[in-house]
Amino acid sequence: MTTPLAGFRLAHPQRLAPGHRRAEECMGTVFSFDVRDLDADVAAAAVDAAVRWLHDVDARFSPYRPDSEVSAVADGRRQLADASPQLREVLSLAAEVAAMSDGAFTTTPFGRFDPSGVVKGWAIERAAAVLVEHGAQRFSINGGGDVQTRGFTTAARRWQIGISDPADRSRLVAVVRAPSAEPMAVATSGTAERGAHIDRVPDDGAGGGLASITLVGTGLAWVDACATAAYAKGEDGLRWVEKRLDGVEALAVGRDGRTAMTAGFPGLLAG
Amino acid sequence: MKRVVLALVSTVTGLVMLLGFKTHSTAAPVALGSTGTSSTGTGSTGSTGGATSAGPSAPGTTTSKIRTVNGHAAHTPYGPVQVQVQLSGSKITNVQVLQHPTASGQDQQINGYALPILINETMTVQSAHIDSVSGATYTSDGYIRSLQGALDQAGITR
Repeated sequence: MTTPLAGFRLAHPQRLAPGHRRAEECMGTVFSFDVRDLDADVAAAAVDAAVRWLHDVDARFSPYRPDSEVSAVADGRRQLADASPQLREVLSLAAEVAAMSDGAFTTTPFGRFDPSGVVKGWAIERAAAVLVEHGAQRFSINGGGDVQTRGFTTAARRWQIGISDPADRSRLVAVVRAPSAEPMAVATSGTAERGAHIDRVPDDGAGGGLASITLVGTGLAWVDACATAAYAKGEDGLRWVEKRLDGVEALAVGRDGRTAMTAGFPGLLAG
Repeated sequence: MKRVVLALVSTVTGLVMLLGFKTHSTAAPVALGSTGTSSTGTGSTGSTGGATSAGPSAPGTTTSKIRTVNGHAAHTPYGPVQVQVQLSGSKITNVQVLQHPTASGQDQQINGYALPILINETMTVQSAHIDSVSGATYTSDGYIRSLQGALDQAGITR
């Protein structure tokens, strides 16, 4: 579920509610914006700008668009030395995750240049920055199941993000609550999401492999890329997060239904 | 140094029960649209206008009025998804899926379990406090968008 269903009330029809909600298709998935502060028209303008940013990212980074910069690099029509600042930024993030994960993460899955594995999370974190530039302080953005929040939802309530059970979508395996008004990033990588950026798929030996792993941190660019790497590491993923990633906690769900958490994850659980 | 807590909480069922989430299937007012009702699917703009219709309840009675609202057909990479909600006041009392992807056997398999679950989530989550969910799917995104459209039309907001 990517939009808030909690606490819906009948609005005063003649009065504009504050904030703005919107779902936008982009990058082959859906991005849901949920801004809780600002006047409705200001919030809508903020979301407009963030949506424009996402489409710009898609135009530049899509491996499916022949005219994208990524396709030009993949086809050898453009050298990385001539890369745009945006592509350089993404590549630098990808290199960092690749080094940190001992190569579990790669920008050349199946031998072809494709940094998609880091683009979405990065794009969402930047979209959040666009909202902040427009004055928003309370919002969430969910892009295909990866979430960036900021602030509280209302004066007193913190964002609560459900984590779906990879084996049974009727269940949530957990609900995490933003520990503060600071940004929170929640990214899940798993069997449902077979990204081209994972070329080392964990063994799915009987009950052994990971079904999904969810990482929680502050910035989605880093957290999403690390979730991908952690999933690629299979059963070592959780330990890797614990040992190597500061300020990031993880919840792993095995194919056998068992769950395991990093030491700090229980502190994030709601309820 | 931190240690990994191998909290083998089996399936965390306890936690989920604690939070009051129902499991699927039981008593869900599911009415998956049969293949016969699927749309023409020609729209390239991604949506068709939704329609609001008067509820079936008798006007002016003491029972709260049931309103029926159709969401727009939300397009997903697998095909359109459209839901219809029934509301009593601001409470969702029923959700039906009018359209869902049926192009392949796999679609039907996916929708056979995913959509009833989403419906159940809608019914339960409205009383829980979940703002968003990590680990969603294309189909669920389409469902959510159509549902959101229906709620917007009904004037339901936070």
